[in-house]
Amino acid sequence: MVAVGGLVSLGIVVLAGIVLGNVSLPVSDTLAVLGHRLLGLPAGIWPASTETIVVELRLPRVLTAMIVGMGLAVAGTAFQGLLRNPLADPYVLGTASGAALGAAIGVLLPIQVAVLGFGVANALAFCGALAAVAVVYRLSRGSESRSSILLVGYAVGSVLAAGLATAMYLSGDNLRRIVAYLLGSFANASWAQVVVGLPIIVLGTLLILSRARSLDALLLGDDAAAHLGVDVRRERRVLLALAALVTAAAVALAGLIGFVGLIVPHAVRLVVGPSARLVLPLSAVLGAAFMVLADLIARIPGELPVGIVTALIGVPVFLVLLRRSPGAYEL
Amino acid sequence: MTRLDYRSVAPSGVPGKGSHHPWALALGVAAVMALAGGAPVIAQSPSAGVPQGVPATTLTDDTGTVVTIPSDPARVISLSPAITETAFALGAGDRLVGGTDYDDYPAQAPALPDVATYTGVLMEQVVALEPDLVLAAGNGFTPDADIARMRELGYPVVVLYAEDVDGVMADIRLIGDALGGDADAAAESMAADMAASIERISALAAATGTTPRTFYEIGDQPELYGPAPDSFIEDLVGLAGGDAITTSDPAVFSIPVEQLIVADPEVIVLGDALYGVCPDVVAARPGWADITAVRAGAVRPVNDTVITRPGPRLADGLASLTRAIHPELADELTDFPADPPMCAVAASTAAPSASGSAQP
Repeated sequence: MVAVGGLVSLGIVVLAGIVLGNVSLPVSDTLAVLGHRLLGLPAGIWPASTETIVVELRLPRVLTAMIVGMGLAVAGTAFQGLLRNPLADPYVLGTASGAALGAAIGVLLPIQVAVLGFGVANALAFCGALAAVAVVYRLSRGSESRSSILLVGYAVGSVLAAGLATAMYLSGDNLRRIVAYLLGSFANASWAQVVVGLPIIVLGTLLILSRARSLDALLLGDDAAAHLGVDVRRERRVLLALAALVTAAAVALAGLIGFVGLIVPHAVRLVVGPSARLVLPLSAVLGAAFMVLADLIARIPGELPVGIVTALIGVPVFLVLLRRSPGAYEL
Repeated sequence: MTRLDYRSVAPSGVPGKGSHHPWALALGVAAVMALAGGAPVIAQSPSAGVPQGVPATTLTDDTGTVVTIPSDPARVISLSPAITETAFALGAGDRLVGGTDYDDYPAQAPALPDVATYTGVLMEQVVALEPDLVLAAGNGFTPDADIARMRELGYPVVVLYAEDVDGVMADIRLIGDALGGDADAAAESMAADMAASIERISALAAATGTTPRTFYEIGDQPELYGPAPDSFIEDLVGLAGGDAITTSDPAVFSIPVEQLIVADPEVIVLGDALYGVCPDVVAARPGWADITAVRAGAVRPVNDTVITRPGPRLADGLASLTRAIHPELADELTDFPADPPMCAVAASTAAPSASGSAQP
């Protein structure tokens, strides 16, 4: 029932995201354009600008918001389960700093190449995020305790953040572009980006979803999980790699959008309990819906940074949920 | 530490197999391929550039890109205040359908629909206005990603960027060329007039025989900002008869205070006067009291907007700058507009509760 409610609200929010925007277009025109392009219904009469706005600007933007929201929420759930820490989010292992530093370097490089809608900054952000997680994993491999990986993640993240601060200091006029990236935005979403980003994030998410049982087992502790037949070391490595990949792709698409990966899984757990088999798919749906809604609110007045909107809407909603939940749940 | 039910994680019966569901995975992969394959079908590429049958002009913009635009564009979007000013000055203001949200001159400019903010271009607004020409600002002022996106969507975009004073006149001619019709001829005569005025001001400044060391202060928070070597402002200061004190590198815009004290400017021009930085504020800064300019009281506020905007008022801006560097030339530059009152207002509000003077 919760799942149906989630999917229905996702559908409503997506439709709202396509129909509403910075420029008000007649709803009938918008729906007619969608019907024509997606369902092959006969063409009617509408201004060319309406078709361009709906198909070239809003549709890819809503799709990108959906997959980024889904990816971040699922990655957040995975990290929270892997690290058994309720404060873990997709950026906890230095991913954010690595991506930010990569993007800053990309902005500063005098190269202006764009392949399939991704510029140098996006590509370097993706590489930076993955590289940071790889470094953290390598450095923490000696001890298998979960707090060591968190501490290493914090340390590596700090050093990368210092690198970012240096890059921002040296950037001069380009500081604005770096800051714009750091605040996160879907303004540059295009079909080219969707075609590249969607397979990576959706595939990664599906693979994580298929490993929900392992995630549940890992929640009980490494020994208990091993006794239940889960190959702890392999599953941890695989889940970490998948979650990092999905996060890196999300960050390359939209910049650093916080809050979604941390709070959406908790909100879902408050309703359905901690079992990953329920939390993972529902987080995916709720994350997608939340992100589309946040992007819609961000772009109507004129391109506010999405990260601000996710925090401003999300925090009150989450606090209300927390106050109203019948008892504490434990991760 | 969890309330998780052990039964929900019972193994699938085959040890070590893990917890995969291959059928769900296969379904997912198929769905993803279908979606990714369907996307290009949904998005057919829009028509490029100028429609068939419309007379077109080809020109090269300031990034070296060859752009084909309609010869007589009727719906023009401007993405910088300088371009907006130029378009109005060339008599093409009625053809402008969109501007930025910080256009401030002439009086009709703020009323234009805003299609760009400080962070970037509002793409939906641009598309909804259906422009046939977009005039963008280079050097990252209009983000490169936005310029590429507009070109992808089929709008002709001409990028303008003036590196020095001569570049400003060249850009005015380019805008006139792009706008076509009367604007073309108007641009030619405007550029010629501006060049002549600038020559005249520069000659007057040179004739004074003195070239005081001048520091043009662009900002003071969080560090002191001044012109970089080979920059637009350095060019202007040179034309105004000053010896510009610059930062150490063309890519660096901040100057350490110690370096400035060693350079010892004879004149300090306050470009940040619009933000409330006035001569009394400067005199109060620690370590500044012994600078020649401060001792001589040669710290003068200017209207930075007119001086640094690469538009039709550049000659007026140069006159204003020259008056600040060579106050003795004020009488010979009366045919250029006087500066708006600055800092006299700030000075009277600097003493808060002492006088009961009315707030302006």
